[in-house]
Amino acid sequence: MAGEPPGIARPGSRGLAVTRHTGGNGSGAAFLALSGTLLAAVALSISTGSVTIPLRKIADALLHGGDDTPARILLSLRLPRALLGVLVGGALASSGVAFQALLRNPLADPYILGVSGGAAVGALTVALFLAAGASPALPLFAFIGAALAALSVFLLARRKSGVSPERLILMGVVVGAFLNAVIMLMVTLSPPGKIPGALYWLMGDLGLGTPRRVGVLLPYVALGVAVLFLLSRGMDLLLLGDHAAFQTGLSVERVKTATYLTASLLAGSVVAVSGLIGFVGLIVPHGARALVGSGHRRLLPAAFLLGGAFLVISDTIARSASPAGELPVGAVTALAGAPFFLYLLRRNGGRS
Amino acid sequence: MTMRDDRGVDVRLPVSPRRVVSLAPSLTEVVFLLGRQDLLVGVTRYCNFPPTAASLPKIGGVSDPDVERVVSLAPDLVLCTTDGNPREKVRALEETGIPCFAVAPQDLSSVFATIERVGALLEAAERGRAEAAALRRRADRARSAGKGDGSPGPRVLFAVSTSPIIAAGSGTFMDEIVRLAGGRNMAAGYSGRYPRLSVEDLVAARPDVVFVAGMAGVERFPEEVRRWKEIPAFRDGDVHTLDGDVVTRPGPRLVAALEQVSAVLGAWRASHRESPGPGPGGSR
Repeated sequence: MAGEPPGIARPGSRGLAVTRHTGGNGSGAAFLALSGTLLAAVALSISTGSVTIPLRKIADALLHGGDDTPARILLSLRLPRALLGVLVGGALASSGVAFQALLRNPLADPYILGVSGGAAVGALTVALFLAAGASPALPLFAFIGAALAALSVFLLARRKSGVSPERLILMGVVVGAFLNAVIMLMVTLSPPGKIPGALYWLMGDLGLGTPRRVGVLLPYVALGVAVLFLLSRGMDLLLLGDHAAFQTGLSVERVKTATYLTASLLAGSVVAVSGLIGFVGLIVPHGARALVGSGHRRLLPAAFLLGGAFLVISDTIARSASPAGELPVGAVTALAGAPFFLYLLRRNGGRS
Repeated sequence: MTMRDDRGVDVRLPVSPRRVVSLAPSLTEVVFLLGRQDLLVGVTRYCNFPPTAASLPKIGGVSDPDVERVVSLAPDLVLCTTDGNPREKVRALEETGIPCFAVAPQDLSSVFATIERVGALLEAAERGRAEAAALRRRADRARSAGKGDGSPGPRVLFAVSTSPIIAAGSGTFMDEIVRLAGGRNMAAGYSGRYPRLSVEDLVAARPDVVFVAGMAGVERFPEEVRRWKEIPAFRDGDVHTLDGDVVTRPGPRLVAALEQVSAVLGAWRASHRESPGPGPGGSR
């Protein structure tokens, strides 16, 4: 299991090659390959760590549980971390798909409209004024910050005639710049020692994946992804432009509002448990589009699977590759992901 | 007087200094140790020891000293460090004609040497030698107290942050202190000075004793880390908080830190000689 590199490490190999054809059969094969990749990524992740656990023991612990040290390492450290990676990666990629459709912009990602800045201000507020280090209030405040920022961008961008992608992006940039200034001030004016914990946290970390956190995040991600999936036809039409979407009888503004709020809250809830992990929400949607085409009914699930697999593998690299201890997973997502997705996008002749 | 500093610069003092600015908390502590605090006209906002140091005029921080303010204090000597003060700021001061003496202590013995050299600069050479000798004696005593019967000492984690877990690795004063006190730093094998560790890394390395460099907000490990009773230090409650300032500043109080660590490790040895722990453990 661990010896066999998962499909994602060799994208040219069988499974993914079929998916050049994005029609019915092709996308079926693509989903099979993506699901297999995700499973392989989780398997790789839970068989990697500083404690050596034999494969037989891993299988035994997964099937029958157990209370000895290896079983507890597997069940309460590695498995929750891998599952958290699946949820976070999948949610970021799904949210990225939604923002790219909503804003009709290939550069959109879950953080573009203030979510990251809001979450950071929320986290730093806890570190500065409540308790330094990893306070239990930190995720809550990060979520509140993200939701407030996303909401204010939306309200600022809205006019009587509705919201336009251009105004959303503009307001997102303005609110983001303002929040960045607030962050800089908070970091500069804070007494020494208060901030590092929060900053590390913001850099993105799956290390706090506990069974409880996975359980807390699961309903948010399940609900968010399900709502986005229900909106997938609406997103297809949004891509045609407001006018065309309107002509099909779609309530454009309602779809936009629902997409925006769902994608923002999805990103906010993920940020609250894992900090800011970049690159996944930006580039995985493009990778998934290259595999299954741009119809959202296929694209959303594909992006979820690919994002989950990608983040789990990145996290495995982050915690095992360096002799200097753990690396920030956000650095690995961009470092390892950029070449792979460049390959994927070029192979498809920029069709994405 | 001319003396070569740790940058290799020959610092020339036309007269013996009457107005001194310290750009590092460790150097402020050294000046106080030498009894020459009357010369200090400016310190950093982090200079909080001894407590009276905090009431001296502030010239900014260690990494961001306010050059104008330093110049306005008209010092005839600035004491600075190479690994905390930005080189450009020191150069800017030197360009205004203020002599800057930079130190770069890497280990305990060079801290003692620094005390002697600053003593010589501040017309307290005698006092400097005496204080350094006293500190050397205390360090030697703590070291031999920590050295046990030749059996491998306890495995030690020295955490500078608990969430995320960041350990003091090789090349830090904390690593040297643990080694001198007869412990084995579990983070010494990592390549960086401050490696970031996962809970599983701790379970694999099983530290017997944990020290936390107490700074704002890092004193306590979260429950999800502490509940791993496979880690002897958490199982036995062998977790100790040391003043973060004391263990990270290359100043005279490092010896006090060494004494504390040595006492804890000595107690660990004593209790484990009577009742040998539950098996050799170690990473499997």
